[in-house]
This record gives sequence, structure tokens and C-alpha cells, in this order.
Amino acid sequence: MTATTTPTPLAAATAAETAVGTAARSPRPRLRDLSLPANIVLAVVALLSYVPIYFMVNNALRTGPEMQVAPFALPSAPRWENFAFAWEASGYAYPQTLLIVSVSVLGIAVTTLASAYAFARLRFKEKEIWFYTIFGLLLIPGFITLIPLYVQIVDFGLIGTPWGLVLPYLAGGQALGVVVLRSAIESIPEELFEAAKLDGAGHLWQFVSIAVPLARPLVIALALLNVVGLYGDYVLPSLILQGEGATVSVAITGFTPPAFSPNLDTFNIQLAAFTIASVPIAILVLVLMRYFVSGLSQSAVRL
Amino acid sequence: MSAAVAAPVRRSTAARRHVLERLAAVGFLLPTLALVLVFCYFPAFRAGYTSLTRWDGFNAPEWVGLENFVQVFADADFRQSAINVAIWTLFGVPLAIIPSFIVAELIFRLRSDRLQYVWRAIFTAPLIIPPVVSVLIWQFLYGPEGPINTVLSTLGLESLTRSWIADPQFALFALIFLGFPWVSAFNVLIFYSGLKAIPREVIEASALDGAGRWRQFFTIEIPLTFGQWKLLLVLSIIGVTQNLTTPLLLTGGGPGNSTLTPVLYMYQGAITYGNYGFGMAVGTILFVVVLALSIFNMRILRTSE
Repeated sequence: MTATTTPTPLAAATAAETAVGTAARSPRPRLRDLSLPANIVLAVVALLSYVPIYFMVNNALRTGPEMQVAPFALPSAPRWENFAFAWEASGYAYPQTLLIVSVSVLGIAVTTLASAYAFARLRFKEKEIWFYTIFGLLLIPGFITLIPLYVQIVDFGLIGTPWGLVLPYLAGGQALGVVVLRSAIESIPEELFEAAKLDGAGHLWQFVSIAVPLARPLVIALALLNVVGLYGDYVLPSLILQGEGATVSVAITGFTPPAFSPNLDTFNIQLAAFTIASVPIAILVLVLMRYFVSGLSQSAVRL
Repeated sequence: MSAAVAAPVRRSTAARRHVLERLAAVGFLLPTLALVLVFCYFPAFRAGYTSLTRWDGFNAPEWVGLENFVQVFADADFRQSAINVAIWTLFGVPLAIIPSFIVAELIFRLRSDRLQYVWRAIFTAPLIIPPVVSVLIWQFLYGPEGPINTVLSTLGLESLTRSWIADPQFALFALIFLGFPWVSAFNVLIFYSGLKAIPREVIEASALDGAGRWRQFFTIEIPLTFGQWKLLLVLSIIGVTQNLTTPLLLTGGGPGNSTLTPVLYMYQGAITYGNYGFGMAVGTILFVVVLALSIFNMRILRTSE
């Protein structure tokens, strides 16, 4: 699964192509053109993929009876109260969740970068043993450690504290990050490091001034993956943080609307809570779409 | 004279650099290794050890050897959960892979790079819905008064309406088919990058040979994205077998045992009934099976490459 292509064959191919001539030249390699049918099929699949999202946002703005009659009709008059009730019941979870997720994701980025640098650039005896110790974790599925991990967090007295979640998250993010970033740092041209060494740079400075900036796009892509994964995580937080300390995914699952909200609209208020829960990731995806689209595939290639 | 002095000095600087490099390595690696050993490896070993004991989570564990495993294999509920997860894997893994491949392929064949980007973005955006939310929305879509039944009623098919996840005959398949049309942003992007990596010459040569779109599909695009198929096959099998959230939130394994899976059984054994040894025995068995499946897949797919 290593796919670090050297630039030479690519350059050769482009050169050959220009040499072959411009007679049969097309902007892209000539596959049979499927554009129109392909666009139609893609549009239909995309529409179907968006049905649950549409259903959620739309009915978050309606009343229970309205939804019962026509689940997919547009709201007659948007009921913004639903969102107020939903926030009343689940808003408490946001500050702590955002804190837990950002500390974990930043921590994963820093620690995996450091380890990846050590594996890529330093010489020490037991290097490959340690690397495979970390790589091997990709083969241990999360469920096997779920229960003992929970027991251990109880033992450490971390139950009900944010650290009870942050520490396992930090640990859980290591394997993928180290493996992907090691390969990324290894593909940085040797001359850059040599030049820095001549200037008298030690490993810490080479790490900060060369490895970190050049690995940045991949680090951001991995961080985004981690944000999405951790923000949506449910089982571990449901065991470790309860009640007022709950994370968003737990808070909206065991959702009870405020007592003074209309009974018939309970489910719509819950949908409003779901909609609010989607907003943080939606903002992230919209702002950083470029990194999502290019970074995800890049990290897959380096796996 | 100067050479005689210089040699040991040089050796000692080399040795010092060596020591420094080792120290640097320790510094760079320490956080990762500490985290991984304490929060990944130790719990994994503890899982293995606990499976050989009788333990309620509070008192000292009592060594019972393989008793838990004997008990698990003799357990009818466990056998049912194994059958359920086998069915889930059989249907769920193709659903996780094939629709995403088709979407990636359609995007790849578009002429305009700009349009390709737009479609990739459109299929990436559903990531915004947390998985828990998606599961709970489907709970309603499947419900007795949900839109699926509304549609069936308007088509005059009232006899088919039911509470899909409360019907023992349909519950498991309702969970498997949850997420229609099953296009995963992650998988689409992986396949797309695989298709993009196919050398241009290969495609151009086949077009010159007059290969039609189906020939190109089967003789070039599928074989040359084998790495991606392999990766996603292994990831999907692990994903399906360890999917705890869906049955935990929607059915709790019911009605009857119709949606009980081994992971859920493990969870219930330990968390709900406080029988940690039994739960970990289930987990250990599942781990061995998943690992064997992954290795088997790698082997099979490597030989056919």
C-alpha cells in the first residue's frame, strides 16, 4: 500500500505526450464520454443521500402534527421556538465537548508529528520494533479494549472528568497519525534537512522548521478526520461522562425536552437539537472543504 | 601527535552524537509510547486476562481458566449473535463498498475537473451529520408512523406497513440497510484517488484499442484499484463487526435476539450484567475472528493481484 511515486515517470509521461503530438489532443485522457448520464445518476444518488438531512432540518422547523400529516412538506411558518427549546435542553454540552475535542485533536497532532519525525529521521536501535508496536494497533479493533479501558479509567479515578475521555482519545489517534506522517516526512527531500544541518540546526529545529511546515496539509487533514470522529463518538463518552458533564452526542441521544415545551412537538424539538449538533462540523466542512477532499485521499494513499 | 589526539576525540564526538540521537528519539517518542502502552496495549492485555477470570468489576478477579469460553460457545444467544453478524457482514460490506465505488467511478469519468470537484464536495458534505444523529433519524424513518409507511400507504400497500425495527423478521435487515443509499464520503474519496492514480497511458492505449466503457471498467479500472478495494474490504469488515452504536441505540438486540450482535452481547455481558469475564471472552473470540478474516483477505487479494 505504499504509493510514493517518484516524479520521473510522471514527467516522462507528460514529455512523451507532448512529443506524440497535438493532433489527437484532448484535455483529458480519452475515456468514453459518460458526462450526461453520469451527472444524472450522481444527482439522483446525491438527492437520496441528502434525504435524512432535509428531513431533519425541515421538520426541526415544524410542529408534530404537521410532520405526521406530511413528513416531507415544507414548513408553513417556521417554528424557531423548537431551536430555543432544544438549546435549553442540550446547550450545556457544547463548551465541554468543544474543549475535549480540541485538546484531543491538538494533542494528537503534536505527539504524532513528533513520533513520526523520530521514526523518519532519527537513527536508533529498536526503531522498527517500536514502529510496529504502534502500527500493530491498527489491527486491534476498538471494541476489544472498550470495556477494559472503561475499567482502567475508573481505576485511575478519571470517571466523570474530561481527562477520562481526552487521554484515551489521545492514545487512540496515535497509530494512524504516526504511520501516515512518517511516510510523509520520509518523502521530504533529504537536501532540505542537509542544508539545515549545515546551518547548525539540531533535531528540534529541523523538526520545527522543516518537518512541521511541510507535513502541514496532511496534519490538517488528519486533524479534521479526528474532529469528525471524536465529535460523533458515542459509546465511550456515554460510559465515562454522564449528566451535566455529557458530550453533545450523548446529550442529544438521551434528550428530554424542557418540561414547558409543547408535548406534541417533542420529536421536532429533538430534531432541532440534532440540527444544532451538526452545525460545528458543518462550519468546519464548509470552511475547510479543500482539505477534506484532497487530504482524505492523500492520507489513504500513505497508509 | 595531532592525529593521535584527534582520533579518539573524533570517536568520542561520534559516540556523543549517537547518545544524543538516542536521547532525542526518547524525547520525541515518549508521549506516543506512554499513551499507547497505557491506554491501548494494557487494556488489550487486560481484556485477554479478564476473559480467563470470573470478575464482577469490583471484587478481586477469580481465575477460572477457559470456563468463560466454554460457557460462551454453549450459549444459544451467542450463536444467534454470530449468525446475525455473519448476515450483517454479508450484506453490509458490499453496501459499504460498491455504491461508493460507483459514485467515484462516475465522478472520475466526468470531463470537467471543476465538476469533478463539485461532486466530490457534494458527497463529502453529509459528513456533517454525527453518526448518532443519522441513526436516530433512521429510527424515525423506520417507525410505525414514519415516512416509509406513509409512502407505502399512499401507494395502497397498507398491508406492508409495520414498525420495521420492532418486527423480528425485518429488524436485522432494517439495521443493515440503514443509511440508504450508502455512499460514504471516506470511501468515495479513497476510490477516487485510486482511479486518479491509474497511469494515463493505460487508459489512452485501451481507448485506441477500441475498448468500450464496460471493457475499460472491468479490465482497467477495477483491477488497477485493487489496493483500494483491499483496504476498504478490511476496514468495512472491522467496521461492521464492531458497530455497537446502531443496535445499542435502536434495538438493544431485540426484538427477541433478532438484532443481537457479538459486540453488543459483549457490552451487555460486562456493562449491563456486570459479568466482565464472560463479556471479555466474547470480545476475545470476536477479535480472533476479525483478525483471521483480515489476514485471510490480505492473502487472497494479494495472490489474485
